[in-house]
Amino acid sequence: MSSAAITSHETEHHGAPPSTCRFGMIIFLLSEAMLFAGLIAAYIVVRGAHQGEWPPTGAPDIGVQWPLTGLNIVMIVNSILLISSSVTFHFAEAAVKKGRSGLLWLFVTIALGAVFLTVQGWEWMHLRHEGMWFPVFSSAEHQYDIFGIYGSTFFAITGFHGMHVLVGLMLILWCALKQMFTNCFTPQRHAALENVGLYWHFVDVVWIVVYTALYVV
Amino acid sequence: MSVTVAAPSTAHEVEEHSHHKPHWFFHYFWTYDHKMIGLQYLWTALFFLFIGGGLALGVRYQLGFPGAKVPLIGQFLPETLAIDGVIAPGGYNMLVTMHATVMVFFVVMPLLIGAFGNYLIPLKIGAGDMAFPLLNELSYWLYALSGVIVIAAFFVPGGGPASGWTAYAPLSTVASYTGAGAGQSLWAVAIFVNGLSSIAGATNYITTIVNMRAPGMKMFRLPLSVWALFVTAILLIIAVPVLSAAGAMLFFDLNFGTNFFVPIRDGIVTGGQPLLWQHLFWFFGHPEVYIMILPAMGLVSEVMPVFARKPIFGYKAMVIAMVAIGVLGFLVWGHHMFVSGMNVTLSAVFSFSTMFIAVPSAIKTFNWLGTVWKGSIEFTTPMCFALAFVSMFVIGGLSGIFMASTPVDLFIHHTYFIVAHIHYVLFGGSIFAIFAAIYFWFPKMFGRMFNEPLGKVHFFLTFIFFNMTFFPMHNLGLGGMMRRIADPTIYTHLQQLQPMNQISTIGSIGLGLTLIPFFWNIFWSLRNGPKAPNNPWRATTLEWTVSSPPGHGNFPKTPVVHNGPYEYSVPGMEKDYLMQTEVAPEGAQLEAH
Repeated sequence: MSSAAITSHETEHHGAPPSTCRFGMIIFLLSEAMLFAGLIAAYIVVRGAHQGEWPPTGAPDIGVQWPLTGLNIVMIVNSILLISSSVTFHFAEAAVKKGRSGLLWLFVTIALGAVFLTVQGWEWMHLRHEGMWFPVFSSAEHQYDIFGIYGSTFFAITGFHGMHVLVGLMLILWCALKQMFTNCFTPQRHAALENVGLYWHFVDVVWIVVYTALYVV
Repeated sequence: MSVTVAAPSTAHEVEEHSHHKPHWFFHYFWTYDHKMIGLQYLWTALFFLFIGGGLALGVRYQLGFPGAKVPLIGQFLPETLAIDGVIAPGGYNMLVTMHATVMVFFVVMPLLIGAFGNYLIPLKIGAGDMAFPLLNELSYWLYALSGVIVIAAFFVPGGGPASGWTAYAPLSTVASYTGAGAGQSLWAVAIFVNGLSSIAGATNYITTIVNMRAPGMKMFRLPLSVWALFVTAILLIIAVPVLSAAGAMLFFDLNFGTNFFVPIRDGIVTGGQPLLWQHLFWFFGHPEVYIMILPAMGLVSEVMPVFARKPIFGYKAMVIAMVAIGVLGFLVWGHHMFVSGMNVTLSAVFSFSTMFIAVPSAIKTFNWLGTVWKGSIEFTTPMCFALAFVSMFVIGGLSGIFMASTPVDLFIHHTYFIVAHIHYVLFGGSIFAIFAAIYFWFPKMFGRMFNEPLGKVHFFLTFIFFNMTFFPMHNLGLGGMMRRIADPTIYTHLQQLQPMNQISTIGSIGLGLTLIPFFWNIFWSLRNGPKAPNNPWRATTLEWTVSSPPGHGNFPKTPVVHNGPYEYSVPGMEKDYLMQTEVAPEGAQLEAH
């Protein structure tokens, strides 16, 4: 049942074996899932108890409606880009497993993720333009209103997710640069790449939940 | 007769084994060795014990002698805390808040999980180190960083957080209510960073326990302390992120103008819900209670069989009870909110699920009794503390049943009865177990024996002063004394109870002074204690097979495990215990396989 113990010399010099790293990553992602579960549960509770219109009168509507608004189309395309970045990362992994560098796919993934983040930033700025922004940053010329919990939950949840995308991007960039300069990922050794992949797929799955909760329902 | 597989015959062998001596900085401050990380946690948390204890003395002094100048240090207190040396009502709120925050997040959790988890898990499962040593060290430094942040909260404009350790909204989310906006923000940041440290540690523990056990160390051969830490780590992984999310929302509410917990801002209805904070907080907060008691139960379950010279009674029942407590712990958070205006039917459900937890808790208690029953008990200091743990836990557990019942809770909610309860389980429970564990593993950690008579003095004084401090709180609570009031004497119905408050305060000063024999013992024994042999207690688990303290890499050769962890007084054996690494002699009737 139990695997052989590893002496600290081995762990220090070679790190834990791939299966152990993978296991640890999954445990960590479980806690990440609970973080988003907390945020989204809070969203469900406050929205369920919300009195009156949703979104509140005067607040810009981000919800999907028919016919699609311009913002709808942008965010749907953006979601498709993020989800396809999971596929491209998978191609990178598959390439590495076949003995190729996988660099091309890694950079495509980075590009897709970066576009996603940029568009997300554009959406924030767009909403700011519509008057939904943090009131604490109001200046004399610009008075903002966060429109109660509508804005609070939107900025907090997409903000938390955006931070995770950013961390994921930096991890993938680190993998790509390592691969470029040291060629360290081989069909036999690519545990780090695999773990970064787990994280990236997780961030994408969370986006599907976030998108459904904030934009669709 | 018996063959010891992995034990080095002398400490010298292990010394040779550790091939290089690192620079002192990398030995004490940035180390990948789980034992040193455990000790980092131990010393840091003991330092915070002084801070948390000092804050508690401030609280008790104010309650016992309201309006009197704080002796000795009164004139040095900042204006947010005291005016002319007399504790101010707002300052009292800060003391209460910071006392609980420091004790929960910076003393009890780091001691039980950080110190003993790190030190014991690899040694007890036969591994050289944790699965991710770097992550382990990061987890310690995140903890230290969060400690600095939480202490810094005292020194910002407005003073420390003053909304209680539960930081109930909207008291915590609107700075003007307590006057401590910056302090409350720092509190939220500290809780967030502390949470990262907990998650990093818990990830490491689960991964290590599942993947790095020595050959033959089946899950049902794990010592109960490892099982307890395993269940605890799972609770941490699930519960802590929810608090982190809530803490982040609190921070946003305070600083960015969001409205998660603020129902009305500047006269405009926002849709935020103060009750949401309570739900999120207690979804974390109740499992947190078990996070702080399960490892204590595990540690005590290690100590008791050794000094009763008997196997633990019902090993598997103990494991199942811990898992059951862990699972049920997630279904009971509403019992903190009976008076919050929650749905009455929901109250009944939470009431039932809470009482249900009494079942696995009682299983554990009776199994401890079964363990010492007809044992040949050696009343060493660790054993005294372990027995005190069981008895105090019973008192705390029984008063918990009172609160589980909604109608009774309506009466005692937010009174000192609750304060008595929490201290019986957290001090009488967790801290007594921590003392038991510190004395029990002191020889292993430092290679020296502690002074037994001085340990006994520490035990008896702690036991007496603990009960003197906290038992009157039951009566105070039933007499109607509310929590979180700075001056009980302004209430007519509490004036007659004031002597009890004073008894409690005198007890708490005594309790503070008992730390003198404790630290005297530790520091004196570190230099002058007799050298500890590998296995001073004649215990069976793997850490006792190696030298005291264990060398770099723990085990010169990977140990092979043949038995369960509690083979004491085995019928058919000459020696009264069988190490986990020993092959049982012919005819020995073992407890487990």
